[in-house]
Amino acid sequence: MIPIKHILFLVSGVSSFIIFYMGLVNYLTAVEQSTGMILLVFATVVAAGTLLSTVYISKSITKPIEKLAQNMTEFSKTNKITNRKPINTNIKEIHELNDNFQSMGQKVEKTIAVQKEYVEKLKEIDRKKVEFSSMVSHELKTPLVPILGYVQMLQKQELMGELNKKQLDAVDEIYASALKLQRLVGDILTTQKLDLGKLEFNQENIDIAELLNSIIKDFSPIASQKNIHLIKDSTENGVIFSDKDRINQVFSNLIKNAIDFVEFGKGQITIGAKTDKKFVEFFVKDNGVGISETNQKEIFKTFYQIDTSTSRKRNGSGLGLAICKGIIEGLGGKIWVESKENVGTTFYFEIPKQPIKVNIKK
Amino acid sequence: MSKNSTMRDSKINSNHLNILIIDDNEQITKMITTFLELKNHNCRVANDGKQGLALIQENKHDVVLLDLAMPEFDGYAVIKALENNDMLKNNKIIVFTASTITQDELEELVSRGVTSYILKPIDIDLLLSKIIESATS
Repeated sequence: MIPIKHILFLVSGVSSFIIFYMGLVNYLTAVEQSTGMILLVFATVVAAGTLLSTVYISKSITKPIEKLAQNMTEFSKTNKITNRKPINTNIKEIHELNDNFQSMGQKVEKTIAVQKEYVEKLKEIDRKKVEFSSMVSHELKTPLVPILGYVQMLQKQELMGELNKKQLDAVDEIYASALKLQRLVGDILTTQKLDLGKLEFNQENIDIAELLNSIIKDFSPIASQKNIHLIKDSTENGVIFSDKDRINQVFSNLIKNAIDFVEFGKGQITIGAKTDKKFVEFFVKDNGVGISETNQKEIFKTFYQIDTSTSRKRNGSGLGLAICKGIIEGLGGKIWVESKENVGTTFYFEIPKQPIKVNIKK
Repeated sequence: MSKNSTMRDSKINSNHLNILIIDDNEQITKMITTFLELKNHNCRVANDGKQGLALIQENKHDVVLLDLAMPEFDGYAVIKALENNDMLKNNKIIVFTASTITQDELEELVSRGVTSYILKPIDIDLLLSKIIESATS
């Protein structure tokens, strides 16, 4: 960009040079020397005048523009429009430019202030949310202590002596419900920790084959209640270094989900693992109802449940998969799903085989 | 386990322990008392930290169950006071809590001299085995 000052100099310079040149030509050709002389003097005066007025005019334009530019630079640094140096000019365009800049600046300043207020409000809400869920889980856990305690005493027939079958069934139901409540409270707490990046990971050596076998052993009783086959399909026998309890938690959530989504007596759930150089990839595969493509995108979100009508029939709080995702990502891996409606669903998750610096914010 | 313990410390009879329970929640202390008395143990209850600390200092208990989250004088304050009197390691203290304490924080308490910990909600069988284990350790 050529500054206006230079253009003005150029224009006046060129015009006075033309006049000067005409005078010079006139003088040299000596047609009428006195006329030429007059023209020459006139041209010199005009050139000098133009030069002076050019300097004056250009100053009167560039000064306020320079000031405006300065104001703009400072505004871009501070986002504050007030207390800017005033601009004195009688050039209408610059006035307008300045006015527009001022009003734009005021709007920006106001918007930023409003936004700051919103951010503060959001932070406050977030703090409240964390406090609230921590308070809730504490307050829910406390009354669970006597409930679970007494029910366990009843169940062991220590508190009220021997119970008949009906009584024992009722006690079992209370116990199962209390345990479910306890798990839910635990899930809320885990979700909250994941939100804050405060979930702890304890890494250790894990034998893949042993891990899978123990999972089969732990979950076969629950699966067989629904006549579901839970099988291992893997010959992997390597050792990885990761968090065993958390991996178990992920398997537990995935297998419990799968049990909920396969049909009684026809279901089969397969778990397995395969490794490559850096990662181990686990899977939990079922032949259940499947998950639609729309739902596949949503299921890892906190509190997401696959429509209310099915969730009524099924267990779950909508926290399980969000927790799985949080854990796996915390362990430096990823989780994903492949599913076809009425054919089945496979959840995959891969994690690094070697220790990683786990992400713990404190 | 009880067999081992009688060999190590003849004074402690793990079938009949004196247990001090410190928790501000009366429903919890009542339930634990009921359970432990069913198992033939003796229980004393303190419903706040100050009272609990005074009872600990009587030195009459085989095991102390200490809740961490109590109003005013809490479990941490009790631990601190015992530490200052050099009494923490002489007592078998099991802390139990429902608060969102981390594993590291619990381990830190153990390294300072707390015998064991258990998280609420508690499994009463686990509680009993921890009590016996702590009493005889």
